[in-house]
Formats: sequence, structure tokens, C-alpha cells
Amino acid sequence: MTTAASLTEVETVRPVARRRFRLGSVGTLAPLVIIGGYLVVAALGPVLLPYDPIATPLADRLLPPGSTTASGGTAWLGTDALGRDLLGQIVHGARTSVIIGVCVVLISLTVGILIGAVAGFRGGWVDAVLARCIDVLQAFPGLVLAIVIAGIFARSLLLVIIALSVTNWISFARVTRGVVLSLRQRHWVDAARLMGVPGPLLLVRHVLPFTAGPLVAMATLEFALVVLAEAGLSFLGIGLPTSVVSWGQTVAAGRGYLASAWWISAWPGLALSVLVVSVGILGDQLTARFGRARGR
Amino acid sequence: MNRVRLAAGLVAATALLIPFAACSTTTGGGGATDAGTVAQELVASGQYPVENLDPHSVSGGSAGMDLVAKHIYSRLTATDETGKIVGDLATEWSANDAGDTWTFKLRDGVKFTDGSALDSADVVASFQRFLELDSPPAANFPGVEISAPDPTTVVFKSPKPDAAIPSKLTTFHLLPEETPVTEGGVGETPVGSGPFQVESFAAGREVVLVPNPDYFGGAPSLTKLTLQTIPEISTRLTALQTGEVAVVWGVPDDQLAELQAAGSIKTEAVPSAGSVLIWFNSSRPYFKDKPEVRRALWQAIDFATIIEQIHPETGTPADSPIAPTVFGYAPQEPVKYDPEAAKETLTKAGFDFDKTYELQYQSQFKPFVSAIVSDLAEIGVRIDAREKEQAVYIEDLLALRWDINFQQVGSAGFDASTNLGRLYTCAAKRNGYCNPELDKLLAEAGSNPDQAQRQELYAQAGKIIWEDAVGMFPMFVKTSYAWNEKVSGFTLDPQGLPDFRAAKVAGQ
Repeated sequence: MTTAASLTEVETVRPVARRRFRLGSVGTLAPLVIIGGYLVVAALGPVLLPYDPIATPLADRLLPPGSTTASGGTAWLGTDALGRDLLGQIVHGARTSVIIGVCVVLISLTVGILIGAVAGFRGGWVDAVLARCIDVLQAFPGLVLAIVIAGIFARSLLLVIIALSVTNWISFARVTRGVVLSLRQRHWVDAARLMGVPGPLLLVRHVLPFTAGPLVAMATLEFALVVLAEAGLSFLGIGLPTSVVSWGQTVAAGRGYLASAWWISAWPGLALSVLVVSVGILGDQLTARFGRARGR
Repeated sequence: MNRVRLAAGLVAATALLIPFAACSTTTGGGGATDAGTVAQELVASGQYPVENLDPHSVSGGSAGMDLVAKHIYSRLTATDETGKIVGDLATEWSANDAGDTWTFKLRDGVKFTDGSALDSADVVASFQRFLELDSPPAANFPGVEISAPDPTTVVFKSPKPDAAIPSKLTTFHLLPEETPVTEGGVGETPVGSGPFQVESFAAGREVVLVPNPDYFGGAPSLTKLTLQTIPEISTRLTALQTGEVAVVWGVPDDQLAELQAAGSIKTEAVPSAGSVLIWFNSSRPYFKDKPEVRRALWQAIDFATIIEQIHPETGTPADSPIAPTVFGYAPQEPVKYDPEAAKETLTKAGFDFDKTYELQYQSQFKPFVSAIVSDLAEIGVRIDAREKEQAVYIEDLLALRWDINFQQVGSAGFDASTNLGRLYTCAAKRNGYCNPELDKLLAEAGSNPDQAQRQELYAQAGKIIWEDAVGMFPMFVKTSYAWNEKVSGFTLDPQGLPDFRAAKVAGQ
């Protein structure tokens, strides 16, 4: 339950934000539509378009986009060096990227919010220890650590998700901790504490909702970075097994043919770029609206 | 204010970019120095890294090592382009009547790059170091003893007659007597007696060679030879096309066609002594003593189509475990592609279809391996194809940490004894296969002085290896070379070990 003071604060902030940000503006609509398209393709595409990553129809090698395959179908985006259809690879790769991106962001959010909230709210030595842990982990170069982890263990989807989550939660934790630290002495929090609301409930109902804005903006940007990182790992040939389709693997498979069969690396590269740019623009817009934590 | 900032920003950006314009990207490959003469510097790039310069180490016999070693060290014998054994340091050799003692006469007046003379004591010390450090080619000389009756003669005594000693000695390189008997004891700038000497060495990346002025065959005309390693094929080919590198080899078929279209690059595919072999680990229970399982797996793969599609120029379907250019070759009955029969045989033999079998390979065979995995998946056999880089691959290979091993192997000295005789005996433990009858045949073939009888014995040994499916032998390999048309005089070695001692770089 919020007090009257906080209600007025919220009311004064919202109209200003509305002036700077309209949902209908092209800046946010276009990326949303594009990302929505990717999500639809990731969800429905593999169902509508079956693709077998292990089969190698060698008779269809290196066909340019739009050619007819030996079995009579059309390779709309061409085929790669082993005869596999690129459209299937793009669609199934979209699913892999979205799954990994969403899972890593969710895990990082959960862990980050948990640790950040506990650190910010408890204060004292708990905060000191957790904050130093965050600092130490931040010193690790995230992608390098992910490469090391993915390279050591047996390949699997779960391994890639874990490897990418290991350092991704840090930024969420820091933001959460900052917001919680700044809000925990506020009037409504004090009032709720005086009324006898227990600590965890206080945290969840009265403090954490204020982190939603910056965290959502950050999560969107992190999603783009995770998709890129996963493509990087697959390009290097570590992490995902060959039975899981990934855009990074497709780009890697095409890099010996850039001058002749350019389509092998071009389509997944384009798909990656458009997704990352769209997510970046959307994240930018969200940061403009929510970036500064409200209630400050 | 904003315009000033923008102008300042542009000036700063331009100032930052100027140093980059001054950098040039091309290095070696030949450029005009003074009027008319061209710098005789050549950069060649292979695919296999040179990890160290010690020819008696565990890297001995590997492609990277053999390439550098033939340029900086001498051997008693070498092979020429056609596969014939010619003398390098040895001027003549002969065997006694029993065929178990070989006498080699050494060239006189040969000096090492540190000025010391090369005599039989160095040969003896090198050979003993070679055996003691247990280099992989040392397995060619089980129980062989060496002695030096005088400074220009060495005598090899083998426990059994061995007609192939001269061919096997092409794998043995000579070091000075004083070299410490430890791995890597040669150091970074080793002392040798070959046409070149090492100027600098960056392990795994490149070795820069300069001529050895005291080389007994005459100093090379090149002033600098850089042997680089660029493992990534597209980078290697780009380097060739921009002139950064002058000679490359091991070019895959798709890219070979691309290069042929370009103007200033010459290409050629040379029949080699190499063939592809895909061993089954016969020490593992699911392959041990089960030739029908191994043959069925062979039957299940459509190698003809794979070779036609992926290796149209550099591969020909094989009919023997060793290449036709190797002494001891005999054609065998080809295995017909029949996936249904294969699946039936495997089911009857109780093959475990739920298990995933590990296939190890090195990166340049990825398309071939993917096609194999696909064909086997069609009959329900699950394969986990593990790509390993060279050092890990060799370690796992020798430790038998694989179910199926994909490899390209040559026959050093173009004699079956260095291939069949070295890899398929019980004592070799290279693929877990042990057949006493095969052992007898190989031992007899290795020690018989009569070449006709040796041929017959190796034919029989090859038949056993083929029909027992110790491995799958799908393809004979041609080595593809691509070089800048300004370069001439280097040998198009069938084993992928080009020799640059007579190479020249032409003018513009």
C-alpha cells in the first residue's frame, strides 16, 4: 500500500514521461514488429518447416538462392556446402537464438534481482560481501569466460545457457542494488515497516516494483548481447552440439565460400544483424523512458 | 559551439586515421629492390603447425615437422618427386646377403651450421637419440642397432632381414652429437646440415629460414624462406590472392576451382602416397573381434557419392589400404554401398544402436565427416563427431581415446612397411587390432630381401586388413598445390612437403 506522498510523486513523473515517449512512434513500433516477427518465426517456423541438421543431401551442394533441389523442392535461400537448405537453418536457428536469449536473460534477471535486492536491502556486512563478489566477477571478461566454460565440458544447450549466464547477472544485480539502496529509507518503506510488514514482503511489494523500468530496458539490451554471444560461441564451434542449428554455425560453415557461395554466411549474418539492431533500438527507447530509476 | 566541436572532431578523426594509411599489408612474396633484380624471398603457407623444431620429439613424422625438418636437417636418404629413394647424406648403400645388415657410406666434408664436421659419430648419436625419445617414426626400427666402423661409414643391424631400411631412413633426421637427449633439446635456432638454417621461430605460427652457405648441395638462391602456418583455409587463400603468401597447398576442391579462375595463380593436383583411413577402435568391446560389424558400417556409407561431390579433383575411390604409388599395393574387392544389408547385419550382430559412438577428426575433413555422420544416421547409428586440434588429436590418437578415427596417412618412402608394417601389428597398438596371422605376414614381408615375394606378402596382408575392415579405406588423395606464377623451382611433392631449396622468384 503506498502513501499519499508517493502517489503524488508518481503522478508528477508520469505526464513528463508521456511527452517524451509515445507507443505509436515509428521508433518503437518498427523494432517491435521486427522482433515480433522473429518470435513468431522462432515459435511456428520449425513446426511448419522441418529441417534435419544431420542429413547431408550432397546432390544439392552450393545451390544459389531460388534454385530447384534434386528432390524437386525450391531452395529459397540457397543451400550450403553439404546441400542443406538455408531457409531451414535460418528458421531453426531463430528458435535456438530466441530460446537461449530468453533463458539466459531470465536466469540472469532472477539471480541478479535476488542478489542485488538482498545486498541493497540488508546492508551491513551482507551488502559488503555481495558487492565485492559482484566487483570481482565483473573483472572477468564475460565472453572469454563463457568460451572457457563451454570448451571444457561436453556440448549441450544447457551448457551454453549456463556459460552465458555466469557473468550476465552482474549488471542486473548492480542496478537492483542501487535502486533498493536509494529507496529503502523512503517514507513509504518506513511506514510499511512501522506497520509491521515483514522484510521480504516489504522488499517485493514496496521497493522492487521501482526496479522494473530500468531492468526491462536492460534486459532487452542484454537479450541482444546474449544472442550475439551465442552466435560467437557457435561460430568458434564450441558449446552447441551439431544437432542443434545455430546461426553462428551456419556463418562459420560459409566462411570458406565468401567469394563464391556468399549466401551461406550472408543470410544468417543478416538475420543476426537485423535482430540485434532492432532489439538495440527498442532497448534504447525503453532506456530513454525508464532508464533513470523513478522515485529518485 | 556545436560547429566548432564537429570540426574539431573531424580533424581528430582524420589525424587518427593517417597512421593506418601508412601501414601496408603485403609483406613477402617478391618485390623489386634495385634495377632488374627481384628480392628472392618466399613465403609459403601450410596448414599444419610447426610446434617445435626437434625431429626426434613426439611431433616427429607429423606434416608440419617433416616440412621444416627436410629444409634444415639432412637425412641419410630422401625421396624424390616420383617416390624413388635417393641419397641425401649417404652416397651409396648396400645390404649383406642375409639382408639384415645395411652399410651406408657418408658424404665427405659436410659441416653443420655451427662449423663442426658431420661424421658417423653424429649419425650414431642422432639415431640413438631418435630411438630413446621414442618418436613415432622410431617404430619403423624395432631392435635396430647402429655402429660406425669409420668416420664415413655407418652400419645398421636389424634383428631380422629388412629390405626397407633405406626407405625407412627417410624419416630419420641428423643432429649434432652434442644435442641433449631431451625433448626440444635442439632449442629455437637448431644446428643442422640442411640447405637452410633457422633465423627465427614462432611456435605454431611461422619459422623464418635463411640459406646455409656451407650446404653441401650448394646454397639455395632464395635469401629468405618463411614457412607460415595459416590453419584457416579462406585466410590462406586470401593471403595467396593478395600476394602475401606465394605458395599454398592442401586446397579443398571448391576453392581450387575458384583459384583456377583467377589470373596469376597456377594450380595442380598431384597423386600422392596418401589415402584416407577411418579406423575402428578394435580394443573396444563393440568392435573387438567383430569384423562383420565393421564391414557393415563400411557398407552403410555411400563413399562414391561423397568423393564425387566433395573431392572431385583431389580424391579417387580407393581399392586398397595403401595408395597405388606405394610398393606393396594390391587392389582389393571394393565394398558395395548397401545400407539395408548393413542395417540387417548390424541388427543380427546385436549392435547397440542407442549408444553414441565418438569419431575424432581434424578440421579440414569436416565436410567428409559430416557426410559420414549423415549416412550412418540414416541406418540409425549415432555418431558424435569431435573436431580436435592437432596436439589434442595426436595425444588422443596414440592413447586410443576414440571409437572411430578419421585420418589421412601416407607411406613414408613409398614402401608399405612404413604404413602397413608400422601400424597394423599387434605390438603397434595404434588401433587395437591384433591378428597373429597378419603379424606373421607383415614380419615376413618386412624382412624378406626378395622384392617380388615382399609384394606378394603385402598383397595378402592388405587383403586381411581390407576384408577384416580394420578400418574403412574410402579414398586415395591427391595433393593440390596453388602458387603465384612468379614462383618456380620448388617440388610439387606428393606428400604435401614441397621442397624449396631450388626455388626462384621471377621478376615483375
